[in-house]
Amino acid sequence: MTTIYVADTGVFVRCGGPDNEKFRRLRRALQQADASLRIPQRVYEELGGDPAAEAYPSGNIPYPDGFEEGWIVVADELDYTNALVSTVMDDTRRFVANETGRDEDRIEKADTALVGLAAQLLDTGEADSVVLLTTDKPAGKAAETILGDHGFAGQIGYRYASEEYLETITAAEFQVDDS
Amino acid sequence: MAKSPPRSEQGPLHQLETIADLFETPPLARIYAHVLQHGAVTVSDLVEALDVPQGTAYDYVQKLETAALIEKVSDQRPYEYDAEPLSLTLSTDGETRTVTPALIAAVARRDDDDDVDVFVDRHGLDGLATALDYAFEYVDGSVNHRITARELDISPLEAEIILQALEPVAETYDTSE
Repeated sequence: MTTIYVADTGVFVRCGGPDNEKFRRLRRALQQADASLRIPQRVYEELGGDPAAEAYPSGNIPYPDGFEEGWIVVADELDYTNALVSTVMDDTRRFVANETGRDEDRIEKADTALVGLAAQLLDTGEADSVVLLTTDKPAGKAAETILGDHGFAGQIGYRYASEEYLETITAAEFQVDDS
Repeated sequence: MAKSPPRSEQGPLHQLETIADLFETPPLARIYAHVLQHGAVTVSDLVEALDVPQGTAYDYVQKLETAALIEKVSDQRPYEYDAEPLSLTLSTDGETRTVTPALIAAVARRDDDDDVDVFVDRHGLDGLATALDYAFEYVDGSVNHRITARELDISPLEAEIILQALEPVAETYDTSE
């Protein structure tokens, strides 16, 4: 049983700030569990995409250290030719639009990258189960509902990356391989 | 003859002036927000809970009391103070904004959360008030930082930073529960 942990932008924002205490705690938890966080390309772009955000204490996130140390990994590009990935992302767009009371054309396909990546990891067999760490509640809910409908119930879960969750996280949260 | 006793010695325009002071003085907003949330409280309670100098606490309490934003609810020393939630709607050229306890609490956070302070420097108090509306939705799960970013014309990273910074205010003042 291989479990892959996929992290969203909100996880790293929550870990930002001057002392980066939560960042260090997250690193320790992952390293002790010999686990890593997979981030979609989209999240990578969001984290590095706004130099103006450096004015914020929480915009000061040492996430590049995670790449060097190997506990944050940028995921492969999404394979839109994979029918499941494409379908799940379209379904997620509709789900998020409905959940947020927005028109569907206001939701970009890239917004659904987190769920698309989970679909890809499960469909290719790279992961037996996927856990999403996110503050995007509509996407988290979409992942559980839609991937559940596609036969992955019990193989997909989402954790809301709250302050408390990251303040208390330990290696026990990351069970990479149960076999 | 119609009787209309004033709510305070100074009247509603003085109250408006004090509300404007709340926006400009985060420590004053902190005291008001604390009384709103935890009243009835004494000045000593405020000093202890907010870690402000006693003299400042007394001055601010007096200022808020004079403007009738808070009132004495005990007859004996140490006096206890409490506040009625305010709701003030301002309209200018087609734009309407309601000043709520949650907004005052968001302003108060400038004092202990630099993310909020930077956001107000960049986007003003109206920007903060709009972001707070989104923070309520974010807590309810009816918006995410990506949609917020697009609708407020800021980056997804900046959106996530301010939504997280305002999350405690939105949770405290959530009216949907």
